[in-house]
Amino acid sequence: MEIKIKNLSKYYYSGGKTIKALDNVSLSIPANRIFTLLGPSGCGKTTLLRCIVGLEAPDTGEIEIGDDVVLSTEKNIFVPTENRGLGMVFQTYAIWPHMNVFNNVAYPLQTRKVPKDIIRSKVEKTLRFVQLEGFEDRPATKLSGGQQQRVALARALVAEPKVILFDEPLSNLDAKLREETRKDLRVFLTELQITAIYVTHDRIEALSLSDIVAVMNKGQIVETGEPRNIYLNANHRFVADFIGRTNLIEATVTSQEESVTTVDCAIGRLACRKRADIKPGDRVTLCLRPEFIRLKRGNASEAQNVFNGQIKSLVFIGEAFEGEITIHESQLFIKTEPHSDIEVGDRANFTVDPDHCLLVTR
Amino acid sequence: MEKTMVKKRSVLTPTLIAIVGFLTVCPIVMLVFGSFSTGLGAFGEFTLDKYILGYTDPELGGIIVNTIIFVLGSSMVATGLALFLAYLNTRTDIPFKFLFRIISIIPMMIPHILFSVSWVLLLNPSNGLINLFLRQIPGFEDLAINIYSLPGMILVEGLLDLPIAYLILAPAMASFDIALEESSKVCGGTTLRTLFRVTLPVLRPAILAAFILSLVRSLASFAVPSVIGMPGRIYVLATHIYQSIATGFAADFGKAAAIGMSVLATSITLIYIYRYLTSEGEKYVTISSRGYRPTVIELKGAKYPLFSVVGILSMILIVLPVLVLFYTSLVPYSMIPSAKAFSMMSWKHWIEVVNDPISLLSLKNSVFLGVVGATLGVMLSVFVAYVIVKIRSHASGILESLSFLSFSFPGIVIGVGFMWFFVRTPLYATIWALLIGYIATYLPYGVRPLASAFVQVHSHLEESSQVCGAGSFTTMRRIVIPLLIPGIVSGWILMATMFVRELTLSVVLSRPGTEVLAVQIFRFAEDGLWGQLSALGIMMIFISTALVLLATLVGMKFKPVEEGE
Ligand SMILES: Nc1ncnc2c1ncn2[C@@H]1O[C@H](COP(=O)(O)OP(=O)(O)OP(=O)(O)O)[C@@H](O)[C@H]1O
Ligand SMILES: [Mg+2]
Repeated sequence: MEIKIKNLSKYYYSGGKTIKALDNVSLSIPANRIFTLLGPSGCGKTTLLRCIVGLEAPDTGEIEIGDDVVLSTEKNIFVPTENRGLGMVFQTYAIWPHMNVFNNVAYPLQTRKVPKDIIRSKVEKTLRFVQLEGFEDRPATKLSGGQQQRVALARALVAEPKVILFDEPLSNLDAKLREETRKDLRVFLTELQITAIYVTHDRIEALSLSDIVAVMNKGQIVETGEPRNIYLNANHRFVADFIGRTNLIEATVTSQEESVTTVDCAIGRLACRKRADIKPGDRVTLCLRPEFIRLKRGNASEAQNVFNGQIKSLVFIGEAFEGEITIHESQLFIKTEPHSDIEVGDRANFTVDPDHCLLVTR
Repeated sequence: MEKTMVKKRSVLTPTLIAIVGFLTVCPIVMLVFGSFSTGLGAFGEFTLDKYILGYTDPELGGIIVNTIIFVLGSSMVATGLALFLAYLNTRTDIPFKFLFRIISIIPMMIPHILFSVSWVLLLNPSNGLINLFLRQIPGFEDLAINIYSLPGMILVEGLLDLPIAYLILAPAMASFDIALEESSKVCGGTTLRTLFRVTLPVLRPAILAAFILSLVRSLASFAVPSVIGMPGRIYVLATHIYQSIATGFAADFGKAAAIGMSVLATSITLIYIYRYLTSEGEKYVTISSRGYRPTVIELKGAKYPLFSVVGILSMILIVLPVLVLFYTSLVPYSMIPSAKAFSMMSWKHWIEVVNDPISLLSLKNSVFLGVVGATLGVMLSVFVAYVIVKIRSHASGILESLSFLSFSFPGIVIGVGFMWFFVRTPLYATIWALLIGYIATYLPYGVRPLASAFVQVHSHLEESSQVCGAGSFTTMRRIVIPLLIPGIVSGWILMATMFVRELTLSVVLSRPGTEVLAVQIFRFAEDGLWGQLSALGIMMIFISTALVLLATLVGMKFKPVEEGE
């Protein structure tokens, strides 16, 4: 089910100050895709999620789930949480400690007055789906973190909601389990053909799990796009920086050419991916991802985008060398193939494909 | 929908502030007015007479000295013993650790007045059982250990305040970060040196908190000063105030209020220091996040000698009082246990009590106050705790301070304050006056367990129920209430047992027709009717125990785990 959010704002007042937790957010979440809200701590992700489920009353705005308007401050509509028919997995999982697994999972069906035999079969089916068969009678307090997470997922799924929401559901798991669960979750959600809204501050989680990522900052959506697209073609400095490790270099546009935009910066003149919305003289930021900076062997002088630097540090991490190079007093992070025979102190030529020189603004 | 919810909340907090504010501020305000007035019936005009009368009393100096010695002494006994027990229990390999739990809980169920009386029965100079026993030994014929003395009072009050000090110290010790001690040992400190240079200083806030709470308790104590102090003509402020309102025709509530003002002021100051310390204390006592238990210190040879001390203490605290009372209720007059004594035993005193209309009335009243009072008190506490823990607004902060205020209430002084209020209302001399007074004075005992229960109900637990399609009623019924049951049960038990044994407030507010158990026992003690006193006392202990069992059973009916569908 599609979700449309228009001009949503939510303010908190604390200690005489107004905190704009959501600042005029407009957003369209397509049906049956995994949509991730990514952003630093405190940027308003949880608040946005809570507004969608109805646990928070926004100050202004409108939310439409499918064809139903569930919130409109203008028309004075507020559908309470329990009537929105959504599923949600909380960060703390919120497994009720006084109930066993069966009752935790059956609860959404019980509140909807589903007949008992149907409840039983649906709970069984859902528990099988999340691989918790046979756990029905287990007290909720006797579950591991990963099992609790799956009970929470089962409870969110059991009533077959059209939309399911997740608030950092993996942040309480250890690193290995988190990776496994992330993969499982993607398989589950794709199989179910369900609209999923997923909140996280972990960029790898966002990139690997989602169909669409929206990057948030200070109560606003900065950019939305498919993971690959956001990573490779970010338009904003904040997004480029937040979504992955990168070198950010201040630059001035010198000319617009047919297929590239050229800039001047601390490491020299570079041809960059064409950006039509800027003109010579504009100050922009050049974004160079470490993994796109390659060693250039042989004659360097006539090639494009070549710069000479000295290797300042180098760490072998197995699948790559990570290190820093110094070029005219600026430092760049690099990540290069592990079989290179370079050493600290060497001078070498480096190159970047113009297509991987990204110009970002703000 | 949301709008109406906001409205409900905004009504709830002010309503509670009004109720709790009335309960806690009303007696204080009335006390202040009363102390500046001419009489109980009519305030008359503003006057300082009562202060002049009260504070120029030549006896007052001696009474204040007695009070200070009594309060400091008993608090030192209580804190010292509690420290000793808490250390042994949490940090050493002493055997039978369950005894410590018993020591910390059971004495709360033995009414203070009965505990005091049992010591009088054992150690009064004329026919105390221990004195009678020792006099049989040649050379000790004239021996008379006198409980009616300051040391006697200090000892008994110290034992009475021991559990509360223990309940503060034991958790602090258990959560102590062992790394602090280990690093002292690495630096070459011995166990004893580590104890005095590291452990105790780090625990200082908790120790001080326990000490201050004991100070407040002993300052408010009436049972020990009245049962043990008054026969020896040793007066402290509590009994001094009682005297000025109890002496028949010449009862002077104004003077009582004037002196009560200083007791109340001292008590409130102490409680706010206590509160400051306990909030500061959390910074000091570091709860080790690594979650392993502190290493246990091996006592080796000292193990059984130390354990016998604990054993004797638990005998003294729990078994002895009950045994002495039961024995006394059966023998015709004070005599040491012997074949002759056993042959003379009878149910005479019990029958007398059962046939005494006032005793029966007091039984009925106390049970009513215990059951109804605790139920109402817990209901109020549920709402107060909810606002304090879950709403967290400026107004809820006010509510918290208000509900905490009564923690400092010395019963007798608050009773005097309430008198001024009740004589103006039809509640005067009714059981409802006692009920209101009880709830006002003991509110924190209900609020505290419920507040910690509410803390455990994470807001996500409620919210996820809403997301699952449950309305607020279903969420309340299936999620919130079941999770609160343990808190409700322990709040109810605490309040009910306190109400059944309440003495200090009742001694002021109880009138003919509204006698309660503890007051009736106090009257028996004044008249020296030890046999009947003991019979009634045992009944009182039975009632308390029955209420505790009842509440526990009801709590178990709402099993923590829902079964099946
Ligand atoms: N109940 C509240 N009262 C006051 N301020 C709040 C409240 N809830 C959230 N805020 C503020 O609103 C802003 C957004 O909070 P939100 O919880 O949505 O952040 P988040 O993006 O989920 O962060 P995190 O990744 O840390 O969970 C923060 O500045 C936060 O301090
Ligand atoms: Mg959050």
